[in-house]
Amino acid sequence: MSSKWTIARRIVQILVIALIASPLVGLTIFQGNLAAGELLGLPLSDPLAFLQALIGGRVFVVSYLISTLIVVAFYFLLGGRSFCGWVCPVNLVTELADKLRKRWGTGNGTLPLASNRSTLALTLVVVAITGAPLFEILSPIGIINRAIVFYSLLPLLLIAAILLLELLVARRVWCRSLCPLGGFYSLLGHFSPLRLGFTPERCTHCSDCLAVCPVEEVLEPSLAQDAPQVAAGDCTRCMACLDVCPSKALTVKFGYK
Amino acid sequence: MDSESKNMAISRRLFLKGAALTPLTLALGGAAISAVYLRPAQARDFYLRPPGAIEEKRFLAACVKCGRCAQACPYQSIKMAGGEAVVGIGTPYIVPREMPCYLCPDIPCTKVCPSGALDKKLNDVEKIRMGTAIIVDRSACLSIRGLRCEVCYRQCPLIDKAITLETRHNVRTDTHTIMEPVIHRDKCVGCGICEKVCVRETPVIVVQKTPTLQKDHYEF
Repeated sequence: MSSKWTIARRIVQILVIALIASPLVGLTIFQGNLAAGELLGLPLSDPLAFLQALIGGRVFVVSYLISTLIVVAFYFLLGGRSFCGWVCPVNLVTELADKLRKRWGTGNGTLPLASNRSTLALTLVVVAITGAPLFEILSPIGIINRAIVFYSLLPLLLIAAILLLELLVARRVWCRSLCPLGGFYSLLGHFSPLRLGFTPERCTHCSDCLAVCPVEEVLEPSLAQDAPQVAAGDCTRCMACLDVCPSKALTVKFGYK
Repeated sequence: MDSESKNMAISRRLFLKGAALTPLTLALGGAAISAVYLRPAQARDFYLRPPGAIEEKRFLAACVKCGRCAQACPYQSIKMAGGEAVVGIGTPYIVPREMPCYLCPDIPCTKVCPSGALDKKLNDVEKIRMGTAIIVDRSACLSIRGLRCEVCYRQCPLIDKAITLETRHNVRTDTHTIMEPVIHRDKCVGCGICEKVCVRETPVIVVQKTPTLQKDHYEF
């Protein structure tokens, strides 16, 4: 067992936070946040924020569309919900809650993974009917971003609420089942060429991978069916299973076979 | 075994509670948000938006709360709203008394806005319409009282356009002139410099929402 993937993932997560905070020390490599930003002159935008601005605000700017498509293409190539596992700062909170939850033995409930498609639909319906960008208002990602850059600390109460909910009621419920952006990226990740490969002959059926997987419902059937790859939009490509697999039965694969 | 099954029962109940409460909370939250949001604009507090902001209702959805306008503002005039703004959480606004908009000729805040919430095509500072300055307390205005103040007029970036001085005879002293600052709402951009510089403890000249023209009585 090694933890090279988890270490790599933590480094990326901390780098993302450092980039968002970098204007505070006068650096100009990155401006903005995960909703919309500019990295070394390259504009990047959150696709769900784009949709809400388009539907609710009825604004259309070509450069904004292009910066959104860059992000969509990036996460399409790299696994969709890899955003959740590697970039989103809320993941750090969720994983902290998960660690504490396991230690205390609380909050063992789960909600179905597919709920995030419903919250995605709900967000788009609400913005279409009322014009209010439901997710951008509640987004814990935006709240964390603004707490870092603008010291807007009071909305962090929502993050605390998510932490409590995940600790006491249901495991990883925000990231797994409620976050509409997760729903968006799981739809994208479903078609992504970056997947986990599985070599059934090597598998010792120790189930260590299932114990660490944040979305074991998608890993389990693939393993049971001896499928050559774990094809699922909800896999966050966190690669924790690769770290724990003692027989190298799981690998990173690029392609659809 | 017995205590174990008891624990199971509690956690199941807890879970069911969660499964019922979470959608309920979401629904209530959504309802509260739309209730606040659907209130008429006048009932809400007025937020002075950065230059080029589109109409407020659309602005609230078009703004993606990235904070780039605030990062681009060289005077740090632009702040980001917190939870007190409810649906306006994370949107940019200006508090003129703390730091007004100094009307940079290149209007950098609008240039960096990615989503079009601030109009990138705005190139002329005189075309900015953030709000309109209004003398809200004429009896407290030193100039109107007959003193030589005129600080708002002197500091106005559109001096003699947005604010002019109208002179009239001071009937109280019978020997002086009253030089009253008069705001021209067709020229005022709402930058808030007058509000910032007003010498009174509570500014008597403040930026308010640009008054919309009264609709024709017979217009539906």
